[in-house]
Parts: sequence; C-alpha cells; structure tokens
Amino acid sequence: MNFLTPEQINRRTFVTRSAYGLGGLAFALLAQRSLLGAVPAELPAEPGWRGALARPHFPVKARRIIYLCMAGGPSHLETFDYKPELARLDGQAFPESFTRGQQLAQLQNTVLKARGPIAPFSRHGQSGIEVCDLFPRIGSIADELCVVRSMKTEQINHDTAHAFMNTGSIIKGRPSMGSWLLYGLGAETENLPGFVVLTSKGRNGVQPVSARQWSSGVLPSRFQGIQFQSQGDAVHYIGNPEGVCQSTQRQVIEEIMRLNGSLADETRDPEIATRIAQYELAFKMQASVPELTDFQSESPAMLERYGVKEPGDGSFASNCLLARRLAERGVRMIQLYHRGWDHHDDIVGGMKEGAQAVDRATAALITDLKERGMLDDTLVLWGGEFGRTPMGQGTGRDHHILGFSLFMAGGGVRKGTVYGSTDELGYRAMENVVDVHDLHATLLALMGVDHLRLNTKFQGLDIRLTGVAGKVVRGLMA
Amino acid sequence: MKRFVRLLVTSRTYRQSTQHRPALREVDPANRLLAAQNPRRLDAEFVRDNALFVAGLLDLRLIGGPSARPYQPAGHYAALQFPDREYLNSEPDEQWRRGVYMHWQRTFLHPMLVNFDAPNRDECTAQRSASNTPQQALTLLNDPTFVEAARVFALRLLQGPAATDADRIDRAFVLAVGRAPAPADRERLLAFLQAQERHYAANPDDAKRFLAAGVHRAPEADALPAPALAAWTQLGRVRPRAAQRPGDHHPLLIRLIRRLPHPGQAARARPENSSLR
Repeated sequence: MNFLTPEQINRRTFVTRSAYGLGGLAFALLAQRSLLGAVPAELPAEPGWRGALARPHFPVKARRIIYLCMAGGPSHLETFDYKPELARLDGQAFPESFTRGQQLAQLQNTVLKARGPIAPFSRHGQSGIEVCDLFPRIGSIADELCVVRSMKTEQINHDTAHAFMNTGSIIKGRPSMGSWLLYGLGAETENLPGFVVLTSKGRNGVQPVSARQWSSGVLPSRFQGIQFQSQGDAVHYIGNPEGVCQSTQRQVIEEIMRLNGSLADETRDPEIATRIAQYELAFKMQASVPELTDFQSESPAMLERYGVKEPGDGSFASNCLLARRLAERGVRMIQLYHRGWDHHDDIVGGMKEGAQAVDRATAALITDLKERGMLDDTLVLWGGEFGRTPMGQGTGRDHHILGFSLFMAGGGVRKGTVYGSTDELGYRAMENVVDVHDLHATLLALMGVDHLRLNTKFQGLDIRLTGVAGKVVRGLMA
Repeated sequence: MKRFVRLLVTSRTYRQSTQHRPALREVDPANRLLAAQNPRRLDAEFVRDNALFVAGLLDLRLIGGPSARPYQPAGHYAALQFPDREYLNSEPDEQWRRGVYMHWQRTFLHPMLVNFDAPNRDECTAQRSASNTPQQALTLLNDPTFVEAARVFALRLLQGPAATDADRIDRAFVLAVGRAPAPADRERLLAFLQAQERHYAANPDDAKRFLAAGVHRAPEADALPAPALAAWTQLGRVRPRAAQRPGDHHPLLIRLIRRLPHPGQAARARPENSSLR
C-alpha cells in the first residue's frame, strides 16, 4: 500500500491546485482535507477528516479506544489471576526452577520467597470470572470483560515498558498507538483533538510518565496525543486574555485569517491554508473545550456513580467521566494514566488505595457506555505496563514481565471470557501467550486495520506499530 | 577562505532574488528547482523572540547566567508526573531575555515551546518538526507573553514618529513583517481599530483588565487614553503568519548578526558581561 509523506501531500496539493487553477482550488482543499485534515472554513461542514487509509481493511468493530493505563504495573496476583498454589507457598522459598537465569529488577541477588495473594478472589456473573475482592465493582461487570491472563512484555523498567506498550518499540521517535490510529483512520471530530491524554495519581507507588508516551514520533506532530490538564483549563491558552470577549476575539481572528488569506493567494504555500483552518479550529475549541469540561449537564447521580467528588478535581473518577464525554464527541483515542501501582513496598495498603481510586469509576465507565449504546463501538482497555513478581520484595512485589493480566471490554471483544493462563505460581504466561505486539495487532484489527498494512516510511524502511512481529489473536475477538 | 566567500557572495546565483515569481507557479509549482526560497516556520524560541523584538521588548544582552522564566500557565507543573515543583516567572529585568536563555524543564517543557515543536532534549534532534496546529493559534492569541508584547508594540507605535493612524499601521507592517501593507489591508485595519476603540471606550473595565497583562509597566502607557491603547494592542494581536516573505530580510536576524562579537572579542566580552548577573 502506498502511503504519502506530509511533504508528498503538500506537493500533491500544490500540483493539484496549480494544475486546475482557481477552479481546482476546492478540489485541492478537499484533497488536503482528507490527507492533512486542514478544513477551510468555506467548505460545507462535514464532521471529521479521513486518515491515510482509503477504507478499512477489516470490518470495523471499534471506532475508538479508551485506554485506562494503570501506570506503575499493578499486580496480576491481586487483580485477575488467582493462584491458590502461591497462597500455599506464602513465606516459603520460591522454587528456583522458575527463576533460574531470569531477569529480575530490584530482587537480583536476594533470597526469593513466595508471597501469597494479599486478598481473596470471588467468581462473578454467568461467566464465573475470578476477580480479586479488592475490585468488587469491576467484578460485578465480569460478563462484559475479556480478561487476558497470559500477557508478556519485554521491558522491565517503567519508561521503556510504557514505550513498548504504546509504540511497540523502546526506540524513541516511534509513534504511539493513538497517533497511528489517528494517522490511519482520521478523526470523527473537528472541534477537539483526535488523541487526548489525561493523567491522575494516587498516593502510593507513583512513578513518572513522560510525554513521549503519547508522542507522534516520526509521524507528523498533528497526530500527537494532546494532554488535557486534569485540573484548571483542560487545554493551555484556551481562554481569551483578560478583558477580551468572544466577539472581539473573533474580530482579531478574522483579521488574522484575512491577512493570511491574501498571503495564501500570493505565495500558494499550502501551510497557510492549514494555518487559517487551525485558527478556525482554535476558535471552535475555545467554545468546545469549556463545554466538554463543564460537568453541569451531568446529574449528581451520575457523578456519584463514577465516584466524582469534585468535577475536574484531577481524580481518576473525574477523568473517566471526561473520557466518556470525549468519546461521545468523537475522539479517536483517549488515554487515561493513573499513576499509583508501583508497589515495591506496602502492597497491602497500595493495592487497597489503588483499587479504591479506580474500581468504581472503571465499572461506571463501562456500564455508562453500555447504557448509551456506545460500548458496541468503544473499546476499553485496562492494564499496566507489566505485572509484579509472585516473589515478595519486603512488604511489596517487584516488576515482572513474564506473565501479567489486563482486560478489554466492548468494541468487538469476546466478552465474559478469560484468555490464556500463567503457571501455577503466576510466574510465566504458559497457555495462549499474548505478547505486546499481538495485543497491538488485535487492537488494530478490531479498529478495522491490518497491522501489516498501516505503515510509514522512515529512514528508508516501512515502519509499523508491530515492527516485524505481531499476530491477531482471534480468541480475544467476538 | 576569504576569496572563496567573496566568490560565493558576489556570484550571480547568490545575488538572485529568493522571491517567488508568478511565472514559477506554472514552470515549477513545487519549487523542485529551488528558484525561490520555500517559506519556513520559525522555531519555537524565535516565535517568541520575534514577537518581543517587534515590540521592542527583547533583551539582547549576551549574558548567559541562570535561565529566564517567561510566564507559564498556573498549575502547568501539576501534571509534571514527577516530584512537585513550583514555577515563578522572572521579574522585568529578566523576563524578556531571548529564547535560548529560557528555562527548559526536561521532558516537560513550557507549553509554548511544546506547541511550537521544541524537542524534549532527552535525545539529539537533528531536525525539528514544523507542525501547524490549533494549539499554536491559541498560544499566539492568548499566552500573556504575546498579549503583553502586543501592548508594548502598541505603545511603541503610539509614541513613535507616525502622525496618523494610517501612518502607524504602515509602521506596524514595516516593523513586524518588513513591508508596507496593501491599501485594502490598511483600510480594513483602520476600521478594525475604530471598532475596537469604540468597544473599549464603552467597556472601561475590560480595557483595564486587558491592559494589565504581564509585568511590563510604563508611565507613558498610563498617560495614554486606555481605549486607544487597548485598540492598538488588539491590532498588535493580529499576527499573520511570520516569515512569509522569503525575500525580506528579517529585522531580528540582522540585528542579532550585527551584535555577534568577532571571535577575538568573545573572550573579552564574557567576564564583564557576566558581572551583570
């Protein structure tokens, strides 16, 4: 498949325009609209803009992804992977047959002792999926979930593991999954960015997350994730300066667009047409972003359901509600980082606190989407960058990459199922192993994209999200 | 080497105009033969430098020293994802230093720098991308740095040699983009100016709040009628795309080149300048 670089797009636009003269202007702008997303004001309004793919490769099951990224690496042994044998071995030496020659993070050269699960599990729903009792509300929607217990990753430190989970590579400059989706599929909204990131943090196990996790890398920067502030203005500089009302602001913008318009006529620089369109979008965002973050239209019962104490307080609950509002408005990729799962110490307190922060809001988001009929084409993904060791580390657990859990819901996934398993101690993914590339290939497939055919030229090679690996896991799909 | 440079700069090729000509559109619409300069967007630091320079605010001292901290949205560091930090913007003596002296919070840049594609500096960036986003429009419109620069620019125009509003608009164009306005543009902007002045005369509180942006204070500004200063500040916020005329000599660039010390001077200049800190 032939993909165009931005330079080629510009050139094509340029040539098209010149070749058709003034009569071709509208056509050229249309071409630019579809490839670059620049939407001139004079064209009839039509929501969204198209991406690099002319049409989807597969039937589209999911139109958007809400990725609840549990940053720090929550323990699979206290969430979705119950190991009675590990409970039996609690406090005893961890069998060396499991760990010999394996990479460890902070537990290197220490005596390894098994740590049993810190909380009991219960079976839920018709599917009977076992979920840790720390997460009763997620348990209550077990029949919506597709739990993967056989994840494995390659990176044992937070930043690189996040990069691997987001971009399929630890090499900097690789586009994040949301950027790939935006680039390939385009956006369904013109009033908001198509890839939005929100963050929140707990009290325990808080690790930094770098903005490179939502970078568009080698793709044009307009595909990058836009981090909305969880507190205060969601977007920087969204408000008019003090003493400037909407109508005077509009007059300033119109003068700018007019002067740029005469310039565009003279120079034929396609970037100027884009610039004019971006001023228009900026002005629209000045209205749409405050509307987005204004929770007045949400009933007290809705706030209560998500567990939002104070709308816009920067909590995970508030972000979940905002995520639903973003999804309603056609944002393609919504990524929520909740930092608070790096439990090297006090995993008992840490898991309890983390569960309190996310359990209610996660379940509320999924049921809310379902009631609105949006869960059918919205894919929710919940999980960390890795799991945690079945061996104890002081009062906590260390990073672990050979086996961990996550779950998906909605958007074409096989619900009420558990896929794959780890060994009896939760150390290594054994059955139906899903590596990160497989997960990416599957997510893209659910979005209607063949991961082998979404690529961009970089340094003479076609690069893609899954690199030279990845297979679609049919067992995760409905 | 000197002979080589002379040969280069006196060559016919070098002395050709870089302006785009209408005929080129037909012959070489994509400018593959480089008969004209392709317009380029300014890099992040220079977007701010340019606005400050046009206003006459840019601090051109080559002084090094601790980083300058331009205004930053309150609470920006709340999302730092790292140990908490507080950000206090620089006072007037440091506020308008050049972008190269700006504070860089590694991996978590000032939002203005982010919006204009400044790299994170966690790895070498040989070529910056030049995106074209709504965030850039929002920055130029609403960042207090640019609102303040527009006001100081307005002050410069109102105090300058120009006698009439039309003359001031001409001067604004020359200072900002290095050319005279088209007659139609001049007319439109005069009408815009009058509308803004009427608005701010009718809304004195708005004028007062609008004129308070930033830390720059000037007694001359207080002496001017607020509606007029507010209207000219609004005109200063009308920033068409920069660097649009490839043939123009950018006034800031010339000024900076003139200021660069000869290699022999650099060693002498540094100790006495560093005493400024």
